[in-house]
Amino acid sequence: MKPILLAAMLVVAALVTPLPRANAQATDWKQVPIPQLPAFKPQQPKRVELSNGMVIFLQEDHELPLIDGTARIRGGSVNEPKEKTGLVDIYGEVWRTGGTKSQSGDQLDDFLEIRAAKVETGGGPDSTTISFSCLKGDLDDVFKAFVDVLQNPEFRAEKIDIAKKGMDDSISRRNDEASEIAHREAVKLAYGPDNPYARVAEYATVAAVTRQDLIDFHGKYVQPNNIILGISGDFDAAAMEARLRKAFESWPKGPALPKNDIKYSPAKPGYYVIAKEDVNQSNISMVALGTTRANPDYYAISVFNEAFGGGFSSRLFNDIRTKRGLAYGVGGGVGTNFGHPGILRIAMGTKSESTIEAIQAADEDIDNLAKQPITDDEIQRAKDAILNAFIFRLDSPDKILAERMTYEYYGYPPDWLDKYQAEIKKVNATEVNRVAAKYLHRDQLAVLVVGNTKEFDKPLSSLGPVKEIDIAIPPAAEGKGESKPSASNPEGKALAAKVAAAMGGLPKLQSIKTMRVAMAEGEPGSGSPTPVDVTIAFPDSMHVDVTTPQGALTLVTSPNASFMAMAGMGSRAMPPEQKTDMLAQLHHDLVYVAQHADDPALTFTAAGTEKIGDVDAAVVDIGGAIPWIRWYVDPKTGYILREKYKGMGQSGPFEGETNLSDWRTADGLTMPYTHKNQQNGQETSLVEYKKIELNPAIDPKLFQEPVEKTSATP
Amino acid sequence: MKHRTLRLAVLLLLFSAIALAQDVASFEKRVTVKKLPNGLTLIVCERHEAPVFSFFTLVDAGSVQDPMRATGLAHMFEHMAFKGTDKIGTTDYAAEKAALEKVETAYTAYLAERDKTVGQDEAKLKQLEKAWKDAIAEADKYVKPNEFGKIIEQNGGEDMNAFTNLDETAYHYSFPENRLELWAYLESERFLHPVMREFYKERNVVIEERRMRTDSNPFGRLLEQFTEEAFAAHPYHRPTVGWMSDLNHFSATDAQKFFDEYYVPANMVVAVAGDLKTADAMPVLEKYFGRLPTRPHPDEATTTEPPQNSERRVALKETSQPIYIEGYHRPDYRSKDDAVFDAISDLMSEGRTSRLYRALVRDKKIASFSEGLTGYPGIKYPHLFAFIAVPLPGHKPEEMATAIHAEIERLKKEDITDDELKMIKTRSKANLVRGLADNEGLATQLATYQTRYGDWRELFRSVDRIDQVTKADIRRIANQVFVDTNRTVGYIENSGGGGGSPGAEQGNSGQGGAQ
Repeated sequence: MKPILLAAMLVVAALVTPLPRANAQATDWKQVPIPQLPAFKPQQPKRVELSNGMVIFLQEDHELPLIDGTARIRGGSVNEPKEKTGLVDIYGEVWRTGGTKSQSGDQLDDFLEIRAAKVETGGGPDSTTISFSCLKGDLDDVFKAFVDVLQNPEFRAEKIDIAKKGMDDSISRRNDEASEIAHREAVKLAYGPDNPYARVAEYATVAAVTRQDLIDFHGKYVQPNNIILGISGDFDAAAMEARLRKAFESWPKGPALPKNDIKYSPAKPGYYVIAKEDVNQSNISMVALGTTRANPDYYAISVFNEAFGGGFSSRLFNDIRTKRGLAYGVGGGVGTNFGHPGILRIAMGTKSESTIEAIQAADEDIDNLAKQPITDDEIQRAKDAILNAFIFRLDSPDKILAERMTYEYYGYPPDWLDKYQAEIKKVNATEVNRVAAKYLHRDQLAVLVVGNTKEFDKPLSSLGPVKEIDIAIPPAAEGKGESKPSASNPEGKALAAKVAAAMGGLPKLQSIKTMRVAMAEGEPGSGSPTPVDVTIAFPDSMHVDVTTPQGALTLVTSPNASFMAMAGMGSRAMPPEQKTDMLAQLHHDLVYVAQHADDPALTFTAAGTEKIGDVDAAVVDIGGAIPWIRWYVDPKTGYILREKYKGMGQSGPFEGETNLSDWRTADGLTMPYTHKNQQNGQETSLVEYKKIELNPAIDPKLFQEPVEKTSATP
Repeated sequence: MKHRTLRLAVLLLLFSAIALAQDVASFEKRVTVKKLPNGLTLIVCERHEAPVFSFFTLVDAGSVQDPMRATGLAHMFEHMAFKGTDKIGTTDYAAEKAALEKVETAYTAYLAERDKTVGQDEAKLKQLEKAWKDAIAEADKYVKPNEFGKIIEQNGGEDMNAFTNLDETAYHYSFPENRLELWAYLESERFLHPVMREFYKERNVVIEERRMRTDSNPFGRLLEQFTEEAFAAHPYHRPTVGWMSDLNHFSATDAQKFFDEYYVPANMVVAVAGDLKTADAMPVLEKYFGRLPTRPHPDEATTTEPPQNSERRVALKETSQPIYIEGYHRPDYRSKDDAVFDAISDLMSEGRTSRLYRALVRDKKIASFSEGLTGYPGIKYPHLFAFIAVPLPGHKPEEMATAIHAEIERLKKEDITDDELKMIKTRSKANLVRGLADNEGLATQLATYQTRYGDWRELFRSVDRIDQVTKADIRRIANQVFVDTNRTVGYIENSGGGGGSPGAEQGNSGQGGAQ
């Protein structure tokens, strides 16, 4: 059933529409009769403002038994610190995947998918969003999940890892495709590389994001007075309003947000190049800063854009694609946005051998604007195109709802679209040519070419001085990949204390000065396990003896010497990365970390919970004086079920995971006797502890390099 | 309210039963199909939400029909369908026609010399090329550039576009409802009197399209090589955009011939959906589309792809980051097991509950994305079920293969769960319902199902078929199709450069175990 108002309109419309005259068959398109388009006043959503400032729009649409909702929340990536660029991208993903206090993201997935329903979140430059979509009959269940995610996200560490890996992946791939490079770098040229709408995440900025950052971002921005919620679909507006009031009216208002102060520093006009050898087509972007839709020139700009670079009728398309056959994609204009300046951009792709020719063609088209101003005929065509297609901005209740939410968000009047239509009608040639002269100047453009420079028809420098842009991806910094929590939190300290207690208590742990462990390490699919003996003198010396089939292998790190020795092959210094890694292993030893449970030099930061088997394990990130390691602690027993850390393998760094089990007590120390190791998600070895000796006497020679030093074969 | 889960299950069942029954019934009232005497099928679907309509013209011929030495021709004609008619886009058609004929004569002469393998005369070649280009310049004098597209734009045409794939070619846009007759005129004229004007310039545009989509795009290069490898005999091995040498070879005469042979009314379905009254709209459509001359249905027989009996591999070394894809031959869309493949694709790919997401992205953490999809590179002829994975930094294509194969083994050995089967079925119903909410989607679906099955109602029946898929079906198909001798593998290996990897190179076993 349709809303009555709309149905009535359509009845009236049908009456006044002259029927097409089927008898008079046209032979020329100009003879085809075009009846008057019936008046169409689409249904506007109902606006409700709660006492806490939350704005709600309700749009009934009974065509199908579906209900969709989207909340748009002020605050986005423009608000993230530069050194944490990517925070809002990670937030936008983990907000949903990280689950809520009462259910994990995976549980939510199962719950929603079996209903073919969705609750999704996302992060954008100005705002973040959370939305739901469900069959009408599932509204109770799905709305509950929606509110839970909105108000009680948990940002579980495991999902932060996945999101960060995804970010790292896109960073590593961001120079694979020329069009992506061109787009990204053109935005930087137009806005300035540090502008928050232009800057991009790096490995280091992704690594710098912590769970606490996500929690803080959520706490700061997700306040009812920052939220615009729009719901459309097959519901009764009064009942929906009651539901929403019940859910949100008691949510206290948050503090008002300060206004963003954003700087735009466009690049100097001139030529910029990025050489890419694996392409035969150049991506050309000519850019400058655009303007906003609040600018009174916006309407004339819209008509100008349509006439100059819009579609089939535009000058750029007709000249560069049709007349010259130089490009498949070509277009452009003075870009506008609601909230911040758009980008003035002319973009095209042409074969390497016609790069300069295409730039000159575009230049000519720009220059021509002064010599041959846009004609009345071109303006009429552009205005017709905009006005006749205007109906497509209103042709579904969803679109109307989305437009209204946008105006509300950016502070435009609710009838802005009507105004837009009226203003477009008024635009004339004088106006269009005035804005063309005002905004588009050939000598004020930054011209970027991404292409195979060796194949260009002429060097780009034949047009003017050229600046090369370096797009090399900065490698991750030391201690890469993981966030280093800057400070402990009380929950984290409590967990550390709990672990220490479970292992025998701090006094017992701190009485351990040396330790010897006999263990056996087996690799999956290989024969008998290898005996390994580890001797540790806390805090910084470790000696490892491995009984390999080829003979005894010794690995040692200590303040005086770090070396490896193989039976019959002498010894040699340990490479620096291996040394660092070995020290990290020592400092990741359970006993070492637990000894320092109350040491302010180490940070213990609780990071939510994570399911391991049936246990809701408490996650704690440990850092500070030692390299990052993460513990997953069984909150009941205080036993560590899993560790995650970074390691250095024979062929490079890896992401390590060890699952701990078989906890036994000997000599007052409780330790896991089974350690299952994984590297990059692949099982690598199984370590079984055979015997733990506490405070054995240690021969100082264990940590000294043998005198006769032969270097191994190079 | 006591038996919460039970209540939900019942609701779901009710929903699926009601929604679909209602929809088929309501669509029976709203959809009218008419086959014209010339063989063309018209579909009108009423949807009175706003005073607009969308259409979808489907020509059941695609790049599989490209002649030898002229790959890319179907797609080239699609571009030409925007170039106007004998009345649109010209200042003097009689003179232009004569000029265009001269272009073809000059091109034939130029080509004969250019393609000589022995005894090419360079001076003569230059002269012939000049003659050809002069003839083009002469014909261009009569052109009103892009007039066809301009008319559509000026009248408020929205989302005007077209596409060609291996199976079919389609044209679509939306108009305000008062332009129905204008549309019927334009769309029928386009196929009544197409004119191959500005052909060789447009050919350059298409060549740029090839450079953009394929030559200058590492994934485009991989797909082209992979597909070529997977199909030894069937034309599915062709790139729709065409091989570069063919693009530089075929002529306007070839395009006209292609049109004459395949743009036959009996080979076309035109669907319109929107704020229309069938009683008023159908006569208008009949009037205009009835003018297309009756021509014989084209011969669409193609070489049948022989069974594959050994694995095939394509490895590209690129400066870009790795990607992995593998495909298995499966029968065409008319197979009685078509819905089983759809169900497997859904199970493997849809959402965060999907098996590939959970295995490769969530648990093993080796990929940023992984899916299993059917219908590649087309559906009309036997094609591929493909698996794709995008490795995370530090992970290699072989790991993707291992992880995907582990999931395939699970499909073969274990039944999928009740919940999984329920998810697949619920989702297929919900997706159908969600797709009925706009004119464009409706016109597309109705035209497609009418073309492929001769009855648009199959759109709804396809959901019933998924509803009948059993756990045993999924195991049976997995065991039958996902075998290594039936597999083609394609991947990109990073040859160094690019990336600036965050450092997680795959490490083997490290030192002994203080961990």
